[in-house]
Amino acid sequence: MPGDSTAVSATAGPRQSAWSLHQIIALLLVASLVVAVAERGFAADNDQGAQLAATCAACHRVDGHDKGIPSIVGLSEEQFVTLMRAFKSGERSGPIMRTVARSLSNEEIAILAHHFAARGKETQRR
Amino acid sequence: MTCWTRRQFGCLAGAMCIGALRPKTARGQAKAQVLVIGGGVGGATAAKYLALGSEALAVTLVEPKARYTTCFFSNLYLAGLRSLESLTHGYETLEQRYGVKVVHDSVTAIDPVAKNVSLEGGATLSYDRVVLAPGIGFKVGAIEGYDDAAMRIMPHAWTAGPQTRLLREQLESMEDGGVFVLVAPPDPFRCPPGPYERASLIAYYFKQYKPRAKILILDAKDSFFAQDVFEDGWNRHYPGMIEWLPVQFTGGIKAVDVKGRLVKTAGDTFKADVANVIPAQEAGWLAHQAHLADQSGWCPIDPLTFESKLQPGIHVIGDAAKAGNMAKSAFASNSQAKVCAFAILAALTGSERFAPHLFNTCFTLLASDDAVTSAISYSADPETIKVNDFFLSKIGDKAETRREAVREANGWYAAFTLDIFG
Repeated sequence: MPGDSTAVSATAGPRQSAWSLHQIIALLLVASLVVAVAERGFAADNDQGAQLAATCAACHRVDGHDKGIPSIVGLSEEQFVTLMRAFKSGERSGPIMRTVARSLSNEEIAILAHHFAARGKETQRR
Repeated sequence: MTCWTRRQFGCLAGAMCIGALRPKTARGQAKAQVLVIGGGVGGATAAKYLALGSEALAVTLVEPKARYTTCFFSNLYLAGLRSLESLTHGYETLEQRYGVKVVHDSVTAIDPVAKNVSLEGGATLSYDRVVLAPGIGFKVGAIEGYDDAAMRIMPHAWTAGPQTRLLREQLESMEDGGVFVLVAPPDPFRCPPGPYERASLIAYYFKQYKPRAKILILDAKDSFFAQDVFEDGWNRHYPGMIEWLPVQFTGGIKAVDVKGRLVKTAGDTFKADVANVIPAQEAGWLAHQAHLADQSGWCPIDPLTFESKLQPGIHVIGDAAKAGNMAKSAFASNSQAKVCAFAILAALTGSERFAPHLFNTCFTLLASDDAVTSAISYSADPETIKVNDFFLSKIGDKAETRREAVREANGWYAAFTLDIFG
């Protein structure tokens, strides 16, 4: 990785640099991406998990607060799948969640479970 | 890694070239330009999810107002249960966190050939795609005498803000024993349970402060959404206070006389102390000006992308869209905005498209401790949007279930407005 190199110092002249042009281009690309993310405060997120989770965000706060409506960020994948199956079968009451669960395939539920578990870990790290 | 191989560099250079070539952009600009017109629930949600989905788009939201007051929950303000300020939201987070450019101006015209829009302030903005979320307009002449001047005496309060405040002031000034007349619109209209929730929550206010007051609903319809649940609630909470007259009884609402505060139906004239006239509705003005609406007054769209069937490159979402069997509601607009945003992201950035999910959920208050809920999932195909699954609270629900629904409603409002504006 370019960052591992110790050859670049303030006093190093161009002749002494071990950095190749390619490494510099790579570093600039990475740096510009980091700056772009830092400016926006988030990375672009548009995979299937994010698209499905957008539906959940209409009722469940994604910042972890849970006043009135329980938070789903940080549930383990197992917890999420078990809950959704219980809503789907009617074993657990909650008509709104039953309607939502019944509209999702088992594969979509698994993708959502993974998305919110990962999101929970991100939130904990902050 | 010490050095890039020629092949690695070739890949990188190739990727940079592809990045430079895609997406197809307006007038050679670096990023694809998406203009979202209208900063209500649909528009603000679309702007957020477009910006959130890709860095390759430049998202501009055009909205004349600095702040938006939600129509949903405005009946709680009329009841004295919430302040209007608590229902009012700004666009700062969309700008600062998501990088949406917010332009406070009004669109005067959309040119689908030149692919640009003109603003009242004089600017012209070019676009690759437009998302139009114009909300509702009122059908002119549907009720004789009900014009812009009449709305300042007999408010519709069906777009929230000054109209809602005016209605609340009139209700506060009304003497005990007065008659509040609510004119309910014909289908389709924004928020099917809305007029009846309004009657319920104004009755809640009257019960406390003007217990001899009466509420008369003059309806343009012969039945309404969740009618049995509402009528059960009215009998339990406000016996004898609310009277509902269907069109088969009145023959239809024909005219208003603002000076006399009269509402005239085919057969009778009703004297109001406070009148709330909610007229027949259609897509907002700009949809008509841009030739996006058909003879029904609403905008036909492709149910999978919400792209107009009349003007390619322009997507119409929210109440203005003719979205099959979807209700016209804030929740539905938010749901449509996400489906539309993901379709535009796929078209402009090549991101993967997944099966759309469309929902509507509604919390309707009958009293401060009694809310009913409904939930609908829809299935969309290239032709239309159909109801897939439907739930509605029932007469005889436990009181605790209804109380819990009020708590959920308040939690939902916070989460939902965060999803749109936060």
